[in-house]
Amino acid sequence: MAAAGAARAFGRRSRQLFDIFVAEVPWTVSSKELKEYFSQFGSVQRCQLPFDRDTGFHRRYCWIKFSTPEDVQNVLKKDSHILEGSKLTLKQQTRRRRSQRRNPRE
Amino acid sequence: MQSLPGDDKRCFPSTASLERGAHAGQPRVEDLLLPTNGLEPAEGFSLARLRASGHALAGPGTRYGQCGFGGSCAPRATAGLPGEKNLGSWAGKARRAGTARPAEPHGRAPGSARRERRRSPALLPPPSPRIPRSRRAPARFPPEPLRVGCRAAQPALSWDGPSAARGGIGGAPVPERAHSGAGAGGPPPQGMVGPHHVGAAAVRRRRAAHVLRAVMAALLSSAGRLRALRPRLPALLPAPLLPLRRPPATRPPGPDRNITNQIRFFTLAHQEEGSVKEEPVSEIRTRPTYQFDWALNRVDNSVRKTGRIPKSLLLKIFQEISKAGSPGSNQTLLLLRSCGALLPEVSSPERTELAHMIWDKMKELGAVYDTSHYNALLKVYLQNEHKFSPTEFLARMEEANVQPNRVTYQRLIAAYCNEGDIEGASKILGFMKNKDLPITEAVFSSLVKGHARAGDMKSAENILSVMRMAGVEPGADTYLSLLNVYAEKGDADSIKKTLEEVEKTEGYLMDRILMQVIFSLAKAGYPQYIEDIKQRIKFERELIPDAMNLCLTLITHGFEDISFSILKSFSHLSRDNMDQGSFFLQHCVNRDMPVKKLKQFCSELKEAKMHSAPLPFILRCALEANKSALAIDVMKMMKAEGLPLRPHYSWPLLVRHQKEKNLKGVFEVLKLMHELGVELDAETYTDYVFKNFADSETARAQLKKNGCLFEGVGLRVAEIRCEAANGRLDNVLSILSSASTPPVDCRLFRNSLILGFKSSDDVHLWSKITELLYKDERYCLTPPGPTEAVGYFLYHLIDSMSDSEVQAKEERLRQYFHQLKEMNIVIPTSHYSGICRLLDSSQVPELIKDARLLCHKKSLSTDDIPESAKSDVSALEKKLEKRKAENQPITDVLKQLIHALCEEENMQKALEVKAKYEPDMVVGGYAALINLCCRHDNVEEAMNLKEKVFPKNSPVALDTGKYIALVEVLEKHGRLEDAINILTEMKEKDVPISGRTVASLSRILNAAAMRGEVETVNRLHETIVNLGLAESPVLHSPLITVHLEKDDMPAALEALINCYKKYGKILQLHNIYCRLVEKGDADLLQKVSDFISREYGDMMALYDLFFAFLQTGKYKEARKVIETPGLRAHSGRLQWFAKKCISNNQMETLEHLVELTQNLFECDRDEMYYYLLQLCENNDDWGKAEAVWTKIQEENIVPREKTLTLLADIFEKNGQVVPFEVPKVRHEDSRSLSATIEEEGKIRMLCRKNKAKEAYDIFMKTKGKDEFQYNFYDTLIRALLAQNCLQEAIEVKRIAETHIKGFTLNSAASSLLIISQVRRDYLKDALAVLKGMLDSGMLPSRPAVTALVQALAEKGDLKNLQALKNMLEDITKSIGLSASLMANAIALAHMKTNDLDAAVEYLEPLLISGAQNPDQAVRSISYLLRKVSEEGLEPALEKFGVMAERLASQFGIYRPVTDLFLQYVSADRVDDARSLIKRCGAIAQEKRTLGSFMSRAATKPGQAKVIERLLELIPEHLDPEVAYRYLLRCYELDGDVASAKAVYEKTKAKNIQLHELSLKSLATFLKKVGEPVPFTEPPETFKFYVEKWRNRRLEAS
Repeated sequence: MAAAGAARAFGRRSRQLFDIFVAEVPWTVSSKELKEYFSQFGSVQRCQLPFDRDTGFHRRYCWIKFSTPEDVQNVLKKDSHILEGSKLTLKQQTRRRRSQRRNPRE
Repeated sequence: MQSLPGDDKRCFPSTASLERGAHAGQPRVEDLLLPTNGLEPAEGFSLARLRASGHALAGPGTRYGQCGFGGSCAPRATAGLPGEKNLGSWAGKARRAGTARPAEPHGRAPGSARRERRRSPALLPPPSPRIPRSRRAPARFPPEPLRVGCRAAQPALSWDGPSAARGGIGGAPVPERAHSGAGAGGPPPQGMVGPHHVGAAAVRRRRAAHVLRAVMAALLSSAGRLRALRPRLPALLPAPLLPLRRPPATRPPGPDRNITNQIRFFTLAHQEEGSVKEEPVSEIRTRPTYQFDWALNRVDNSVRKTGRIPKSLLLKIFQEISKAGSPGSNQTLLLLRSCGALLPEVSSPERTELAHMIWDKMKELGAVYDTSHYNALLKVYLQNEHKFSPTEFLARMEEANVQPNRVTYQRLIAAYCNEGDIEGASKILGFMKNKDLPITEAVFSSLVKGHARAGDMKSAENILSVMRMAGVEPGADTYLSLLNVYAEKGDADSIKKTLEEVEKTEGYLMDRILMQVIFSLAKAGYPQYIEDIKQRIKFERELIPDAMNLCLTLITHGFEDISFSILKSFSHLSRDNMDQGSFFLQHCVNRDMPVKKLKQFCSELKEAKMHSAPLPFILRCALEANKSALAIDVMKMMKAEGLPLRPHYSWPLLVRHQKEKNLKGVFEVLKLMHELGVELDAETYTDYVFKNFADSETARAQLKKNGCLFEGVGLRVAEIRCEAANGRLDNVLSILSSASTPPVDCRLFRNSLILGFKSSDDVHLWSKITELLYKDERYCLTPPGPTEAVGYFLYHLIDSMSDSEVQAKEERLRQYFHQLKEMNIVIPTSHYSGICRLLDSSQVPELIKDARLLCHKKSLSTDDIPESAKSDVSALEKKLEKRKAENQPITDVLKQLIHALCEEENMQKALEVKAKYEPDMVVGGYAALINLCCRHDNVEEAMNLKEKVFPKNSPVALDTGKYIALVEVLEKHGRLEDAINILTEMKEKDVPISGRTVASLSRILNAAAMRGEVETVNRLHETIVNLGLAESPVLHSPLITVHLEKDDMPAALEALINCYKKYGKILQLHNIYCRLVEKGDADLLQKVSDFISREYGDMMALYDLFFAFLQTGKYKEARKVIETPGLRAHSGRLQWFAKKCISNNQMETLEHLVELTQNLFECDRDEMYYYLLQLCENNDDWGKAEAVWTKIQEENIVPREKTLTLLADIFEKNGQVVPFEVPKVRHEDSRSLSATIEEEGKIRMLCRKNKAKEAYDIFMKTKGKDEFQYNFYDTLIRALLAQNCLQEAIEVKRIAETHIKGFTLNSAASSLLIISQVRRDYLKDALAVLKGMLDSGMLPSRPAVTALVQALAEKGDLKNLQALKNMLEDITKSIGLSASLMANAIALAHMKTNDLDAAVEYLEPLLISGAQNPDQAVRSISYLLRKVSEEGLEPALEKFGVMAERLASQFGIYRPVTDLFLQYVSADRVDDARSLIKRCGAIAQEKRTLGSFMSRAATKPGQAKVIERLLELIPEHLDPEVAYRYLLRCYELDGDVASAKAVYEKTKAKNIQLHELSLKSLATFLKKVGEPVPFTEPPETFKFYVEKWRNRRLEAS
């Protein structure tokens, strides 16, 4: 859990960090479908899909946070991700990885 | 040029003869067109003659001056005639003859010749099929041929004003020279037949081969090799010359690419006019120019990609331009011309209305209309088939005092012809004839239409022969016109016949034309003939944009079925996962197509596998377009088809109802979704339903009343959220305990609950609810169970509270914890320790004890001991001995000692200590030792230690830097296998790889490459890449470099090709080319060229060759390459090379680049000269800059403002008079060439030498003050202000105002004036000057505004600050003023008026919204803190500090607290800084802020201490390379040699690799003070490293 892992090393800020940024999310899916889709690669902790309150449509991008770095690697191993006919564009959020993989101080 | 009739005038009809012609009764059109009676064609009035005279008038370089808007392409009308037929038949013969092509020594296929001549230079197709699609310029389908390309536009100008004809910006046409022979031909003399007169294309073609042969031959030593090369030579020719059966670009120019050119041309034309009219002051022009670029890019992109402009985009641009006020002439033009065929989605009347609206609005805003605008409006009328009276139009122009030109007449003729009014058209023709204007193909094709619409088909058909008689060959335009009139009559046979004829005689048919015929048939009501036309079209990818626009137009006109059949013709082009026809569906939705129809289209698209999900797509369109009824229908259809329906589909509908406060609508949507079986989720209720009601109870009641209360998890969660968020915990409790509540995961309402807890003080309720969450299984549905869930909840609860909140609620939290304990609630240890840390940082350590009650286990380890201060070696040694003697553990001290020794770089001693205390050594100590050994090249010891302590199979890893150090030292000592093993181990142990690691690896590889060790490079590279350690082009580069080092070119080339195959990267290509050229190795050169042309296209290969020749000084060969016919400018590549020249300071090469590209097609000349000027600027070479200026004039280019500014800067910086600002007001004659000039020179010189006061004295003594020029006053005033002579400056200003009418200071001088006034505390005056500047549209400089703002703040003058803020609102961005400044200043002003609370109240919300909204980015409070700190206002500092910390803890806004930290650092309050960073660790993450803080510090002397402090406080959070760079810089500024050297030694000891820039700078510094440089100075220029540094920064960010 966050309190144990990244948070300890990195303070309060870490919980705002996500693992993967997903763009070109088709309008038909909501965070529920996204979570379902990404669950095949590991345990999805959070999925943030911002909606435009002014139009009721989402903004076609979202952030995903997984429980472990391995899950993230699982996702990234796959060449292309297609959800409901749309090819998703994935981008790893780098900050977290670095902090997590920091070596214990010698 | 020889064939140009030298005595044109003789051939001209006399005015009398013209008049005779005009008055000879009722002139028939043909009479007007054909040679006048009584004159022999050879000497008589002939169009061709007229054209030829056009050449003479326009002068060289305007040979395309004949065609205008809508006119035909120039070479067709003017040039190609004589050669064409011959060429055509020749080419045909050649094709039949197969290989027998005796006249073609270079093996160029004949088809290319066809293509060539079909094109005007502007129409040259993309040079290579390999150029990415987006860069191409596919032709578009507009209902009318859109011939507004640059080439078409230019002539209008050249006709009116020859000087601008060459229009450097749009690019001089390269083939011009090649065309010239035929271009000036006039009427086709009989003799011009045969191989020697095959026309321009052939001339060019032959030349191309010749050139390339010559180029290559220059490289070859023996003739024997020449033969081997020949077969490949044509491959080096750019693609336009290669055969293509159906060249897509045989169409007339699409609007796309040409828009840019055209608009550039307009810009140019505008400026050109400007020099005649009043030239506005340059500052005022900055803003509109910027906006214009923005608009231009948007439109250009849209047209480029789609061939159309969405109406919304046009309207948006219109609004932007309107908002900005005072629209520029070219902006208005841009808007107007977009209102025609570029809007296929809008009906014609609507488009015209739009055009009129824009016309009126722009006029209202002060736009001045010239001929170009009227012409654009005419074009829009024509494209929209708008009915209007041409005579009235002319009258209007006359009224506005705008002269019609040839283009105007042509379009008016077209307008008459649209109505079938031949008489009207003849009238205009008469005008044209009177004015000696040439008649182009456009006129003829209009007449075809005119006759046909007048019902006289015979005359219409006859026009073609009339044309030929007049020497104008019918072209695409004419045929299209003819085909269209047949279509209008429904005469399918004639269409067919014409098409066949065209195909036979011209050998080509344009799909674009056919599509327009389809449209005409549809419009005229003959859909039955469409299929036949469609059969003839080849629906290929290139045609998609055109076809899309046809489809859209058809739908707009109500022919959706025809449109659909066209759409389906593209089904064979479908690609995986690419939906086709979305545009179609969307437009159908927008045009309110009936549902039934839509459904039919959807299912057909689906069946044809063209669209994967048409129904969801139209649902989205309906929702977006606010068509609720349709959306609902579509959802029903989707349900019927078994497609999933989701709650969020209803959101756009709900949002709309919410906005309209339409509760009934909301209820209906809820009912509908229920009917459709969609269970709405919590988000729907929370965000879109409950928002309509006061609270959840009202909502529930209302829903129930209206029959749409559908119980479910979603509704319940929304209720809980709603109640919790409003702090009604009692309601939450009752909902949660109600038996009717379904199971809900508590995470779904956690955040609301936290909010609720925070706003309630009822600890009892807190506990009760927590207990429910813990014990009621309904609320903890997912593993790992209630312990974790509640632990997590508690952590977040406390985390969400600010320190002050926690402190305020300390007692309640204590009770809470106790009550939870009594309820037997426990949380996991990890959560507990997290909570403890939070409590600790909130400074309520007492609470920790209470929190412990909740924890499972009691035993807890002590926290890490803080790192003790570093002690020196001897003290540590003593301590160690002592401990040893006392038999105490020594591990810690030993480790410290080892580290200290490492820091001292004392390897010997460190190893001794290690040996002595071996049993007590810890891992960390070994690691440091290994690194030390590596640094000292002690590879044996390093490896021994490594093997011993960190064997391969041990789980313990070294850190990346140390591994890299090992690899480096191993490689250096030739222990390749060991190095590879280390790399493998790095991978196995998953050592993190950073950008720096990659850089280090590439450094190692490069080092090996420089030594020429092929094997080492290959093996290491292979290992690195195969292991996937790093993937970066820089790593591949050494693979090639190593061969270059060894001068093994075949191997280098092979490596290059391998690299490309394996990694898709072309590396070191330029170096290889250069080396090959230097060596004259033609075989390999051919090979590499072949390779590049194969992979990237011929154009790329040609550029590479060109650059290599340039680089190696073989300018003659370079010229031959760049003059390859058909080659066009590739701005990216040119820029690359130019930048390279600039950074390497290669003036000669750059000059040659600029000179050789002079005739390159589409070459942006201004840009090229700009590069040259950049280098001049770098070298402060004003002499060269002046030469460039002359060149620019010589080439007749209108430079952009940017270029002029740079040029002026160079002059000014070097104390020269700027030559082009000389005002036009005064002329030589009024000027007494007397003492005044001498005085002026003296004064200017004194100004330059900063002796403003003396200059002033001389000025005051000078008599003839009238004689001085505008900019002279500016100069003097600026010099005075710079010397702080305010009074004098004001006096000069006063004098200037009396001597020069309407004198205003320019913006630079005004800004200086403001600064001086602020300095003298004349704030009111400064404010007035600023206001004056803004009123006259000038932009003040940022320092001026900043000074004024700060001064007002210091005075606490809130009123004026507010006023100033309002004034600056619009220009804040343009002058780069930080939004934070104003906010800080106002806060400071509040403080100055002793209202500290108001300051905080003002600032805090701004900072919060600033963090969310980048537009109003109030982020920093550093200025405020500095001021407060400097003035020792401790309470204020404290208050702002509390605010900053609050922002950090509550909102996660770290910038303010970072500012506070840095302020502490600056003010040497290290303890405060330290405790702050302890409380708020996130500060260390604000890398950017820290970085810019350091860089700012490094600009002032005496700041070294600040950086030292920072390094002491947060060493591990600073990028050492950056921090030390700035530190060094500080010491250099201070001139502190000893410290600078010490820092350098320190970096060396710490193994910090300094950037070359730092080294360069340090070396320069040391040399200056006469010290030895203890390292090799980086060889390149300073500028080079600055660039490198900046690039890296950019990449990093």
